[in-house]
Amino acid sequence: MSSRRDFMKYASMTGGAVAAGSVSRNLMAALPEAVIQTEVSTMPPLFPDSGPDYNPVVTPNGWTLPFRMRNNVKEFHLIAEPVVREMTSGFNANLWGYNGQSPGPTIEVVEGDRVRIYVTNNLPEHTSVHWHGQRLPNGMDGVTGLNQPAIPVGKTFVYEFVAKRPGTFMYHPHGDEMVQMAMGMMGSWVTHPKGKNNLISDVDRDFCVIMNAYDIVPGAATPKIMTMLDFNLWSWNSRIFPGIDSFNVRQGDKVRMRFGNLTMTNHPIHLHGHEFVVSGTDGGPVQTSARQWEVTTDVAVGQMRQFEFVADELGDWAFHCHKSHHTMNAMGHDVPTMIGVDHSGMAQQIGSVIPDYMVMGERGMADMTEMEMPIPDNTANMMTGDGPFGSVEMGGMFSMLKVRADQPRGDYTDPGWYEHPPGTVAWEYTGELDQPERFKSEVSSSNMAPAPPTESVEIDVRKPRRRLG
Amino acid sequence: MKLTQRRITRPLSIAFLTTTVLSGCATFDVNESIGWTNEEAATFTGGNLELARTAGQRAARTEAATALLAEPLTRDSAVQLALVNSPTIQALIARSWETGASAAQTGRIPNPVFSFERLVSDDSQTKDLERFIAFGLLDVLLLPMKKGVAERGMESARVKLTSDVVAEVTAVRQAWTQAVAAKQLVAFAEQVRTSADASAEMGRRLESVGNFSRLERARQQVFYADATMQLATTRHEAVVAREKLIRALGLDDRQLAMLKLPERLPDLPAQPILPGEATQTLGDRRLDVRMAKASLDRAARAQGITNITSFTDIEVGYRETKATGPEESEELSGYEVEISLPLFDWGNMRRDAMSAQTLAAGNEYAATLRNASSSLRETYSAYRTSFDLSSFYRDEVVPLRTLISEENVMQYNGMLIGVFELLADSRTQTSSIMSAIEASEQFWMADAALQAAMMGRPMDASVGTMAAAGGGEEAGH
Repeated sequence: MSSRRDFMKYASMTGGAVAAGSVSRNLMAALPEAVIQTEVSTMPPLFPDSGPDYNPVVTPNGWTLPFRMRNNVKEFHLIAEPVVREMTSGFNANLWGYNGQSPGPTIEVVEGDRVRIYVTNNLPEHTSVHWHGQRLPNGMDGVTGLNQPAIPVGKTFVYEFVAKRPGTFMYHPHGDEMVQMAMGMMGSWVTHPKGKNNLISDVDRDFCVIMNAYDIVPGAATPKIMTMLDFNLWSWNSRIFPGIDSFNVRQGDKVRMRFGNLTMTNHPIHLHGHEFVVSGTDGGPVQTSARQWEVTTDVAVGQMRQFEFVADELGDWAFHCHKSHHTMNAMGHDVPTMIGVDHSGMAQQIGSVIPDYMVMGERGMADMTEMEMPIPDNTANMMTGDGPFGSVEMGGMFSMLKVRADQPRGDYTDPGWYEHPPGTVAWEYTGELDQPERFKSEVSSSNMAPAPPTESVEIDVRKPRRRLG
Repeated sequence: MKLTQRRITRPLSIAFLTTTVLSGCATFDVNESIGWTNEEAATFTGGNLELARTAGQRAARTEAATALLAEPLTRDSAVQLALVNSPTIQALIARSWETGASAAQTGRIPNPVFSFERLVSDDSQTKDLERFIAFGLLDVLLLPMKKGVAERGMESARVKLTSDVVAEVTAVRQAWTQAVAAKQLVAFAEQVRTSADASAEMGRRLESVGNFSRLERARQQVFYADATMQLATTRHEAVVAREKLIRALGLDDRQLAMLKLPERLPDLPAQPILPGEATQTLGDRRLDVRMAKASLDRAARAQGITNITSFTDIEVGYRETKATGPEESEELSGYEVEISLPLFDWGNMRRDAMSAQTLAAGNEYAATLRNASSSLRETYSAYRTSFDLSSFYRDEVVPLRTLISEENVMQYNGMLIGVFELLADSRTQTSSIMSAIEASEQFWMADAALQAAMMGRPMDASVGTMAAAGGGEEAGH
């Protein structure tokens, strides 16, 4: 396919591909080109121009690492290095990643491929790469000290193995693992089936997401690596909503989503408007008989799940982790609940000592989206992202599935907001509102709370208080 | 007869002449002394020290005081007000006058003694008329020495007046500094209370709708109790400081109703006084050195007199006796010399006492010379340290605290912290501003003390412990 070759060129251009300056020319001759990505937008699929053919995946806000075929071996070059990742517009994080971004580029191979990965360590400390979920020789598993010496600073190591089984995998360091993963070192790996596989269907769109979490103090940029559980940024491919691109498909497309979880808690991934089946787990494809229809699937820590559905309902469908705190960006976890607290007179009093004070949270946290007040520099807003009807009031692990009848095949660009057919949007009722009958019956029931005092009772209650006063 | 008359006139004219010369020299003029103080301590008095002796002068001074009280009282106008208004300062001048005049008195020759005797015999036949004029010979001979002693005494009185005025003015400056600082602190203590009150009220309201436990509410209320007690103390301290200033200014009830203090202490000077400027000024002209020198000179000269007068005393007199009897009349005249015989008291104790006094004064002078530069260095250190601390508060601590507060408001805006943390931080910020005011107060106290010390009147200036700037941790945890 000549169009594929053209596309390669296009992809490398839009990706701002540049040779890694830190790798010497001698090495460059022997090593595959180390492509660096400087863009954070979703790169189009990378169709293979050599080796066995496959239908490539798309990594939202990410990209796929180009390879070269050499003596029938598929060669990749990963460079572990510090990066600055824009997690959402106006918020940049100092992370560690691969080839210019965190997470690293998605690696796509075909079942049976002999794969050789050069890993250059440009971090300030040693590292290694573990190929999470793969069948491979023990010495290629990447556990520092156990399977190999750590890759020293400035050195390049080579991993080589055959991608034996198809499925969704991940890669991440296994040397100073806690720190390096807290800093964002990870990536997705997809092994496509070789030829036809009864349990792996052909799909029109294939998305690949790695879930990661960071603890970055609002106003700072570098994650706190010692955080154990109390992360404040929940991300897909190191992006937080509204920084996460939407999943744009054509109506009727068969869609596959692949989710890997490298955070420290599980994530129930929930899709609106459709049912899906979990078609694959860490162990491989799920037997057809074992698949069941779901709208939410839990991806536990260290797990991968792939699920499939036909996108047959037009619209912009919410798609998110169902842990609602995971659809918020940085927020205070030690803030008292202010709902229902009478603030009369308080604003002026506090304002007299703190001039910029404004009442917040009296009615709930939606105030956040209504007031545009200054927050610390380099901080992601907590509830943000505007939709056609106002603020979506979401952050973190949130995106949308955009199903359009006219989305061109193979085109992943954002079609904009859905235009609802007339009469299909919830509307405001302006007619008469009858008092529901059931309240009266509830009051008369003996085991219910006593009826609210009527006017005459209220007077009786107040009288003695006056005398006392 | 002729001989006798000649004999009479000679000693009389000597005595008369000497007395006239002496009385012209040993005079203490209080206005001259005030003028001298005004000149010496121009930076303190602005040339405005005077003694009010007439109703007109007093009225003029009251008028001047009223004019000064019309505006908020600055540090300089407080000094001017004290100079025109303070009875304490008037008393100082009057006391100095008294001391100076007494000193001058010692330089004058004692008056000659004149005695007149009239004796009549029982039968009234014989009458004795005796006139006797006498003066201490040594007193006259030692007159130049006595004059020297008197001059040192007057010098001492003048220097002491200057020194006392410097001390009084310094006390006024320090009282003013404390009063203004205390007033400033009250305003901020009120802010802390307002903030703590808001915390307490907010906590109460959170509890009332079930968002807070009693424990959480009580924790917020505790700040309020602390802040209220602190405010009460601060207010009392402001009253104490103001009353101290009122006493230093010598205000009466009518005047204190008019007293208005500025809102804040002056800014720090752009540059502190340099160590060289502070220690090299005056030297021998320092007030303490001059007082010690005057004491020493006086003791030395007095010792010279005592060395002579302790052995004996010589009284010289002219006597004229006229005896009138029934038979004859007789006139006798002649001189008389009277010498006390040092049989029992050879005067050695008096000489010892004077030697000891001179020795003590000499050593006191040496000590003063040595201590002067030491105490000046110490006072300068207090001055410089308080300048550095105060400017550090101004340039570092307060901007940092302000930055923290601004950032905290933004954290609050982002719902990253709650209102209680915000309020706790505002209290911490206010406390550090209060510490900055205290640092500024210490500087102006030390500045006043240094000005006095440079003149040679050491005053108290100590650098207190500064409150910590507060850690970088968010408040309220």
